[in-house]
Amino acid sequence: MERDIFLVGSGLTPFGEHWNKSLKDLMDDAIEAALKNSGLNALDIDFVIVANMLAEVTNDQAHLGSIASSLLPHHPPALRIESACGSGALALHTACAFLESKRAETVLVIGAEKMTDASVDTVSQALMGAADSELDTPSGLTFPGIFGLIANRYMHEFGLTREQLSIVSAVHHRNGKENPFAQFRQEISPETVSKSALVADPLRLLDCSPISDGAAACILSTLHRSAFRLAASQVKSDSVSIAERPTITSFSASRDAMAAALREAELERSDISALETHDCFSIAAVINMEDLGFANQGEGIRIYEDLYAGDTPLFVNMSGGLKACGHPVAATGIKQIIDLSKFLKKAKAAHGLAHNFGGACASCGIHILENLDA
Amino acid sequence: MSHSPSIVHRQKKREQERLEPGTVLSWTTLSHPPARFGHRPRTIALIELESGAKVLAPLIATHPHIGQKVHPRMRLSHITEETLRVYEVAYEALVEVSVPVLDFPGYILALTGPSGVGKTTVSKLLTQMFGHVTVNVPILTTRAAKQGDDGEYVYTTPEEFERLKRAGSIVAATVIPSSSEDRQYGYRGADIEAIWKEGKLPVVITEMHLLSGLAEHYSRRSILSFGLLPPGKSKRAKLSQLLHRLRTRGRETEEHIKDRLKNAERDLDFFTQRSDLFDHIMVNEDLPSVIAAMKEKVPGLSKA
Repeated sequence: MERDIFLVGSGLTPFGEHWNKSLKDLMDDAIEAALKNSGLNALDIDFVIVANMLAEVTNDQAHLGSIASSLLPHHPPALRIESACGSGALALHTACAFLESKRAETVLVIGAEKMTDASVDTVSQALMGAADSELDTPSGLTFPGIFGLIANRYMHEFGLTREQLSIVSAVHHRNGKENPFAQFRQEISPETVSKSALVADPLRLLDCSPISDGAAACILSTLHRSAFRLAASQVKSDSVSIAERPTITSFSASRDAMAAALREAELERSDISALETHDCFSIAAVINMEDLGFANQGEGIRIYEDLYAGDTPLFVNMSGGLKACGHPVAATGIKQIIDLSKFLKKAKAAHGLAHNFGGACASCGIHILENLDA
Repeated sequence: MSHSPSIVHRQKKREQERLEPGTVLSWTTLSHPPARFGHRPRTIALIELESGAKVLAPLIATHPHIGQKVHPRMRLSHITEETLRVYEVAYEALVEVSVPVLDFPGYILALTGPSGVGKTTVSKLLTQMFGHVTVNVPILTTRAAKQGDDGEYVYTTPEEFERLKRAGSIVAATVIPSSSEDRQYGYRGADIEAIWKEGKLPVVITEMHLLSGLAEHYSRRSILSFGLLPPGKSKRAKLSQLLHRLRTRGRETEEHIKDRLKNAERDLDFFTQRSDLFDHIMVNEDLPSVIAAMKEKVPGLSKA
């Protein structure tokens, strides 16, 4: 990083179904919580970045930068970032660019999505905007379908079984139980996952992250300091359509972003003790462990087997991940950083990593957070 | 929005590139596909085509599996609110049972139309889709080979052509005049009979004189004859369509195109003068419906 960037405050709304709140209400709640947490005054914010993917379709609302800015008394300049489910990480990355270039000293980054205002079919089609509209969508694919194709291929190549895959959601739900902001706070057994309704063969309902409402805000600053410093912010891309990739059982954007992030932070992989990864579908969580280098290819499930047995020093998705927390698309990347800071503080651990991607990992953002108190 | 006319138009252009056999790399069945595809589960596959390109497309298979060999099949996907018929390329698993023996008892499938109407494209599609039951009858010609020829011609000298004609080996022949030379074209009876012997269906992509020659030689009843016309209400509109197509395919010089257009004008008159030579006249407005119509009307193909 060109400059020391600190996470000086953060705030979340619970993720879930917020029928009595609008997109703007959710943003307002998260901003208020972040300001309160930071101890800063609203006037200290000199730039606002909003991450959002679907508001035009689900809320008839564009122009989100100004909508967010209007929630602050001095209406600071603002913009909106969209990179599908990876919007949150991309917004953080953009904020870093503003801070490093001295365009701004204190940036408010908000990720917000209000998905339950629209029908499931509308949301499902809108999410397909994250795929290639001319190569992928005409076939009738949905995102569970894309990851169903990935899962089937992965099982074919590496012999992963349905029973093994079910462990992933069981681990995430167990972690989410303690998270007051999580959408689902009950444990589920691997057997329940295996028996849940088939969505996109071989993926079942409990392999999929849900449709959620929620907002997350954090304040990044080069002027004000805190115990949490950003050690790396990296973004990489890949072909949007899975039909244009040499393999679908590994995501090059994840691998590339990970290598670049470790270089930037001047860290070894073993220095990272906590991860928040993008587990939009259980199979993605398995592939993430491999792409981030914590398991060999084909062996990602072993980490989850160890996590399930409580037999590893690594902490993965202690918040509950996308599966248990819910996945208000663009809020997720911001939420990950917030959850990571909470965990690092509690565990007195030094380094945590947030991995957030868009689509089938056509864009991937990785941030490494350092706890200076550890 | 995903089925606005312009998007459907672009989709159609891509369809042809996708008409190749391939292998299933992965598949999934959506229990609840997007509403416009109806409420039945939909199986979608990632397929590697023979050319090496990969496509995402619906899969028709009772027992889908990775590594399965599949063939393209054009089918009606849905009809939009604007009543646009949207076709899609689905891939069908080859049925792994003994192939029923199809019998084409001595008839010829003929496709006749003016230059530029899309005969070659239709014939290529027929070969791709029904290549296991149809065989194109080669055309014997005295003209020189040129770029753009795609194996449909057998080349010979004018002398040899004359000799074969006199010996009765050529069952239908014609001379197509052009500003530079007169070219002879014809079909050899042996070619057609060999195809029948294999139990397959001979297909001739032809023009009016050859068609009437074949009808005289084998009798009109042994030819299932399709006429292919360009879209357009008036003759002028039809001709301008042809001119446009001839120019965009860029295979010929402007001079040749003029020749062809002159011939095409005669061809168009022929459709009305000799309507007795046609069983079905089709307008080549969009390829999928032409193929669908042929498939429906040719006994044997609908089963193939």
